[in-house]
Amino acid sequence: MNLDIFLQQLVNGASLGSMYALIAIGYTMVYGVLRLINFAHGDIMMVGAFLTFFGTSAGIPFELAVLLGIIGSAAVGILTDKIAYKPLRDAPKISLLITAIGISFFLENLFTVLFGSTPKAFAAPEYLTKIFHVGEIYLPISVIIIPTVTLLILALVLWILYKTKYGMAIRALAFDIQTVKLMGIDADRIIMIVFIIGSALAAIGGVFYAVSYPSIDPLMGIIVGLKAFAAAVLGGIGSVAGAVVGGFILGFTEIFVVAMFPELGGYKDAFAFFFLILVLLFRPTGIMGQDLERGRF
Amino acid sequence: MKKLTSIVAAAALLGGMAYAKEVKIGVVLPMTGNIAAFGQTSKGGLDIAYEQKNKLSNGDTVKLVVVDDRGDKVEAATAVKRLLDKDKVSVILGEVASSNSMAMAPVAEKAKTPMITHASTNPRVTKDKKYVTRACFIDPFQGAVMAKYAIDNGMKTAVVVTDAKQDYSVGLSKAFKKAFEAAGGKIEKTILINSGDKDFNAQVAALKAANPGIVAFTGYYPEAALMVKQARDMGVKTPFIGADGVGFPELVKIGGKAAEGFMYTDHFNEAAASSAEAKAYVDAFHKKYNKPADSMGALAADGYGMILQAMESCIKAGKASDDKECINTNLRNTKDYKGITGVITINKNGDAVKSAVVNAVKDGKFAYKTSVNP
Repeated sequence: MNLDIFLQQLVNGASLGSMYALIAIGYTMVYGVLRLINFAHGDIMMVGAFLTFFGTSAGIPFELAVLLGIIGSAAVGILTDKIAYKPLRDAPKISLLITAIGISFFLENLFTVLFGSTPKAFAAPEYLTKIFHVGEIYLPISVIIIPTVTLLILALVLWILYKTKYGMAIRALAFDIQTVKLMGIDADRIIMIVFIIGSALAAIGGVFYAVSYPSIDPLMGIIVGLKAFAAAVLGGIGSVAGAVVGGFILGFTEIFVVAMFPELGGYKDAFAFFFLILVLLFRPTGIMGQDLERGRF
Repeated sequence: MKKLTSIVAAAALLGGMAYAKEVKIGVVLPMTGNIAAFGQTSKGGLDIAYEQKNKLSNGDTVKLVVVDDRGDKVEAATAVKRLLDKDKVSVILGEVASSNSMAMAPVAEKAKTPMITHASTNPRVTKDKKYVTRACFIDPFQGAVMAKYAIDNGMKTAVVVTDAKQDYSVGLSKAFKKAFEAAGGKIEKTILINSGDKDFNAQVAALKAANPGIVAFTGYYPEAALMVKQARDMGVKTPFIGADGVGFPELVKIGGKAAEGFMYTDHFNEAAASSAEAKAYVDAFHKKYNKPADSMGALAADGYGMILQAMESCIKAGKASDDKECINTNLRNTKDYKGITGVITINKNGDAVKSAVVNAVKDGKFAYKTSVNP
């Protein structure tokens, strides 16, 4: 592999990893406060991509459509919490998990019934699909924008968590939900905020995904959601920075497996998950995770 | 008196109904899921054929029972079981994807129920099966057509892109390689992808490094569209050739400008339709859907037509129209059936021997290039 190709793959990996990272943040935050693997999270990403698609198809400017997509996804996130998860706050965790899987199937099938399952062509604006040539390297502008935005968002989320009152409440919730309630904090409100942040980030991830691979369908969230979940576990579930690290590692692994062994490209997912297992064997809490019974971000 | 006449008429009607039966054809298609376009277009053509003829000469009515398998192998096999046990169908039509038809075939074979796949081209679908027939050509032929077209147009080196998850793609790649090398071409590299993948940048980089004369893409349209787009984005100008799995409007919708010039072998192009049957079908198709007739629909219509012809032959021979053994024998003995996609003869393996067309994307449409006979 010469240097050009190596650099090319590096930017490709960063771009793919960013998308996993954005979605993984939502997984990890919801897990942090509710100890729930929110399997519907990948589908929230699909909802975000679809709402943006409908917006642009209706003639709304792209930026506004993205905003609508983010707001709509956040609303769907809140609704799933209020309707499906809230009544089960005191139920065994396994009931919550099964409900999350149910919501996932529900969203996938609802969108299939409403909008059909043939892949739709996602139209991104010119300025996001422009391509630069640097020597032999082809740089679609999106591979620069996506990792940059992801890192900015990571900074923003960390700022919210560590510098604001809401962030303090979220971190407190992750430690002990009962005590937080006794302190007079409205736990449900804070959980709602967590769902808003998580869903909004998933929607942004969905839009990035659709810009990079302009074909969207109601089942697009399944495999991406699974990978983002793997990224969250790899980075240490419950840790926001870990989710981002995990996302990038997964993205690079996938890209470089194919780049170095093209004839094994069909098994890139197997490699990615094998890598996950390997890390977990040596660090069961993930790269940046801590003891699972302690709250943290 | 008037009353009496109507009673007699009603009795006659009832009597008539008692004799005329309902014959059920089970249809298994991917109506939803990743390859839903295959199912949707097949159903579109099937509906037209059904509207044109749904009664047999002895007065029996034909009924279609359509089951969606979501493009999944396990669901496809379950669908056949359901059609046999619950709906008691006499014949099974479907699937499109070879992997799914292969999952269905053993179930139909075991129940001694004739099954005809209209569009699965992998040779293994009918291999060692007595009750499985197909209305389309097989991949060795299709792969040979691809190879011949590439060589004839001066492309002597190739990179083969195989979808490792699809039996169709694996078989087609093998056929292409064999024919391409036999004709003096050189395979530079084989690149594997997975259906459902969206990121092909790494594969494209490998492709770029190999810099072949042509890319033989043997997978399906969702991956074809994204891969050709990412290739063109990365400055790869190598022409792509695919097979019947890529010729769908989504190729152009998703691929956009990048899909221009994408060549593929196919079963049918309405520009090449010359027989009266084909013209009647194409007219009806335009009237109903107001768009060009696609090949999956035409194949499904042919599969349905072959079933009906087999049933008619049974009636002529004095047997019931739903006699499974008789339908199967007649299906397997189909000779010079004048179908919409061409003249179809079934060989001893149950495979159709017929011509193929080569199309290419031009100005966002599928333009007819040439026909190749077996």
